[in-house]
Amino acid sequence: MSHLTGSGRRDVLRDDLSAYAASFEAWLASRPAELVAAARPLPVYAERVAVTSELMRALFDEGWARYGWPEQVGGLGGGILHRAAMWEALARHGVAAMALFEHLEILAPTLVAMGDAGFVAGTLPRFLRGEERWSQGFSEPEAGSDLASLRTRAVAADGGYLITGRKIWTSWARYATWCLVLARTGPPESRHRGLTAFAVDLRSPGVEVRAIEQANGTDELAEVTFDEVAVGPERIVGELGGGWGVAMHILAHERGTFAWFRHNFLYRQLLETVETGTPAADRLLGDALLDLAAVRASSHLGLHAHASGAALGPKAAFVKLLLGASEQSVNDWALASDPDLAVGPPDDEAAARRQDYLFSRIVTVYGGSQQMQLDTIAKQILRLP
Amino acid sequence: MTVTVEQADQEFLDAACLALRAPREGGDPLDALGWWDLLGELADRDARMAALALFRAQGRELATSAALGALMAQPFLAATGHAPGSLVAAINHRSRRRGERLIVIGDVAGRSLLVDRPGQGAGVVDADRVGLRPLEVAGRLALHEVELDPSAWAPTVAESHASPARARGQFLGRLALAWEILGAAEGALALAVAHAATREQFGKPIGTFQAVRHLLAWAKTDCVALESVAVTAARLDEATPPRHDEVVKALAGRNGRRACERALQVLGAIGFTAEHSHHHFHSRVLALDALLGTSAELTHALGGWVRQTRADLAVDAAALLASPQ
Ligand SMILES: Cc1cc2nc3c(=O)[nH]c(=O)nc-3n(C[C@H](O)[C@H](O)[C@H](O)COP(=O)(O)OP(=O)(O)OC[C@H]3O[C@@H](n4cnc5c(N)ncnc54)[C@H](O)[C@@H]3O)c2cc1C
Repeated sequence: MSHLTGSGRRDVLRDDLSAYAASFEAWLASRPAELVAAARPLPVYAERVAVTSELMRALFDEGWARYGWPEQVGGLGGGILHRAAMWEALARHGVAAMALFEHLEILAPTLVAMGDAGFVAGTLPRFLRGEERWSQGFSEPEAGSDLASLRTRAVAADGGYLITGRKIWTSWARYATWCLVLARTGPPESRHRGLTAFAVDLRSPGVEVRAIEQANGTDELAEVTFDEVAVGPERIVGELGGGWGVAMHILAHERGTFAWFRHNFLYRQLLETVETGTPAADRLLGDALLDLAAVRASSHLGLHAHASGAALGPKAAFVKLLLGASEQSVNDWALASDPDLAVGPPDDEAAARRQDYLFSRIVTVYGGSQQMQLDTIAKQILRLP
Repeated sequence: MTVTVEQADQEFLDAACLALRAPREGGDPLDALGWWDLLGELADRDARMAALALFRAQGRELATSAALGALMAQPFLAATGHAPGSLVAAINHRSRRRGERLIVIGDVAGRSLLVDRPGQGAGVVDADRVGLRPLEVAGRLALHEVELDPSAWAPTVAESHASPARARGQFLGRLALAWEILGAAEGALALAVAHAATREQFGKPIGTFQAVRHLLAWAKTDCVALESVAVTAARLDEATPPRHDEVVKALAGRNGRRACERALQVLGAIGFTAEHSHHHFHSRVLALDALLGTSAELTHALGGWVRQTRADLAVDAAALLASPQ
């Protein structure tokens, strides 16, 4: 930890965001090998996982990725603004994507806030260091937008629980050690009141993870089945029966603050390929720039709300909608500029861009579909009848 | 929207709406608000936010004043020696049919007009000495075209001084227009939301139909996006990247129009009448979009510029992540 020669220095980086950002910038300017490796376009998803995990290890060992997390869970203190600064700088220095470490900003804040202290203290550092990874097991074949209808069951047994059921569209499950599973502990008709969140070790007997080949050519989504998988009581995240609150806490991040993290990578993607643009697509490029400006402005306000202990609440729906719109307009421009993406990608770079383009068509479905966000705004913000 | 607007800013906005809605007998509502005094304090964040909030209020209340021209003239005062508010910038506008025109907004009687000619410098003429021809503009905007005898204008601010003042004036002007477009779009949306709650078809309020609800939710999203960008730009002011005023203005025109179109769809035919107020808000958005660069022009130009220069248009992360206070 080159920069952490004394605890005094650590305190400065923890308490002074601009000092942290400046020191990190200097480290990035030295172009560490892990950074360079994570900046290459890699169409094979497993390779992306490998280089990003290596990058996380370096970021952890140097201390950078530990800021923004409490000391009890392996962090060095500070808050979400440290993480926001770190990922913005990584994107600006060419890192292609957060890939599966997106869950550091979607799941991890909830684990820290609501998980069993001992369990989180043991596992979070390994997640931060890229050694272990997480996935989110909410959706099921019969429970998509209507999440509260899910049927995976957790039954009390031997002081713990046995989980049985089927999850689907579980991003990154095949690369993950852990899955945060939302399961029914109440009666079948209990809807959102009878749910509990469990941290399940995917290496446990009874777990099967099957990759799903996607329309964009990658296969990071998976179907995960649980057949009487045993979990201890310390694996409950939040309260027994409090799973809906846990899910909403997670989705508040996925909608309210996550946009800051993701949009930096969209912007990088745009800037790095901007010379491939054609004059005919300038209007689309302009629109993409406007959409990114809207995400940047609205999501930084979400970060500050979060940093001050507030939550955006239903207003997070705006940020989520704006992020989806910007991802689509960036890729509308990419396709218009480079029709090869539609035909036959000639190289790795084009292949990765084609994957991104196709992926951008489905971003309005995950994390609560566009229609669900609009419903939230209509009901909770506009208060329509 | 407490996401973006802080308490003090919200209070000023409410006060400005009230003052514009019910001006005291014969009094200038901007005087009553102390708005003219803010012009000298634009370097102060709170004063700047309040100065711009007036424009949002003007959009919501369909009010007009000479505030835009006064704001745009502000950077020239050091060179012309005028007191804040006594000099009002005429806006250069290119009409396809009538060529280069000068436009003033609001009541400029008794003030001096700043006539700025890029490349030649800027000069001051007495507002009472020029012809002011009212333009037929919907949206309850008082616009006048300036009829200026060519011999009446001579540059008193040399181009080398006028050029940076012009850039600053355009920055402020574009931000102000964006805030006013926001207010007008919010005005149109409020009418449509109220309509959706009361207008019944098929035996229930149309606001219960998901298609209608989603139109309104999109319109609200258009407004919130614009609000976030406009508020952030005003807060950061000169810490924004180059051409950020164009980004803000382009987004305002685009989102403002979109919000009005969605609101109109929800209103149905009644929204297409002269009697209904929708068209005032909608027309105001269209008119303001036409000033200081339309959304269509600016969006296209920004795209071309970034493609050719790879310029980084993103607002600096350090400025955004620093405390908003
Ligand atoms: C790339 C990707 C990654 C994902 N990752 C994860 C993950 O890691 N973990 C996880 O748990 N899930 C994940 N999901 C699943 C995601 O959460 C669901 O796809 C989402 O909740 C929608 O469910 P569904 O696909 O079953 O669609 P449905 O719910 O069947 O919806 C289909 C369409 O109908 C619309 N619709 C449904 N109900 C209504 C209604 N009441 N009113 C109006 N329209 C309606 C929807 O908006 C949508 O357009 C992922 C999905 C994708 C695409």
